[in-house]
Amino acid sequence: MDQHIKLEVKLPKVHDIELVALEGLELMGHHLGITEEKIGEARILVTEGVINALEHSGNDVPYVNVDFTMTKEKLIILITDFGKGFVPGDVAEPNIMSKLGSDNKRGWGIKLMKSLSDGFEIDSGESGTKITITKNIA
Amino acid sequence: MINDFNLTSTTENDVLVITTEGYINNAGGEKIAQEFESHFENGVTKLLINMEGSKVVNSIGISFLIEIIEKLNEKGGVLYFSNLDPAVDKTFTIMGLFQFAKKVASVEEIK
Repeated sequence: MDQHIKLEVKLPKVHDIELVALEGLELMGHHLGITEEKIGEARILVTEGVINALEHSGNDVPYVNVDFTMTKEKLIILITDFGKGFVPGDVAEPNIMSKLGSDNKRGWGIKLMKSLSDGFEIDSGESGTKITITKNIA
Repeated sequence: MINDFNLTSTTENDVLVITTEGYINNAGGEKIAQEFESHFENGVTKLLINMEGSKVVNSIGISFLIEIIEKLNEKGGVLYFSNLDPAVDKTFTIMGLFQFAKKVASVEEIK
């Protein structure tokens, strides 16, 4: 049988709360026999997705939802916040040359999620943002 | 559970070696930068960060490493990394860190 695991967590805006999602990710990955390398890449995806959502959703939104669906072949991560939304096209692509000498050395989250995943979609509007990340883990 | 961040540092010849343990988040990155600063002020321009104990990083923590690269570049210094987790290695590659930093197996490799 092709095992199919789901985990849904609601994360409050608490320092380092993304580690709770990572704990679940690792337990599911080990259960399905996913390699450490793939789990490691998925860790970065989850970490960046959650901290991005927590940071940019606005102060009035106390939670971020993270839904995982994992099989031996594929991981789908759905991160939803109910904040003010943003225009993805307005987010500048960061590069190391421009960051050196700049006061703002941050802003790498979307680039990392796009680069480390096999599918990345953003659906953002006035009622919040939904990020869907697909990662092949076989 | 992924552990809290800690670091230890030693100086071997003219190389500052910072060994990290745990999650390199905002606070972890800041601690590395502070430790580096205290030696940089005294003329250290070679820094090796041994990341064997850090399998989880985030881009906010890494932004402090970019700050370190910036300071080292100004003085002709070099940042080195050892024992990188493959996913962390890939992350640094995507961010372009290896255009300015080098990977080594150990401090003995640094001349």
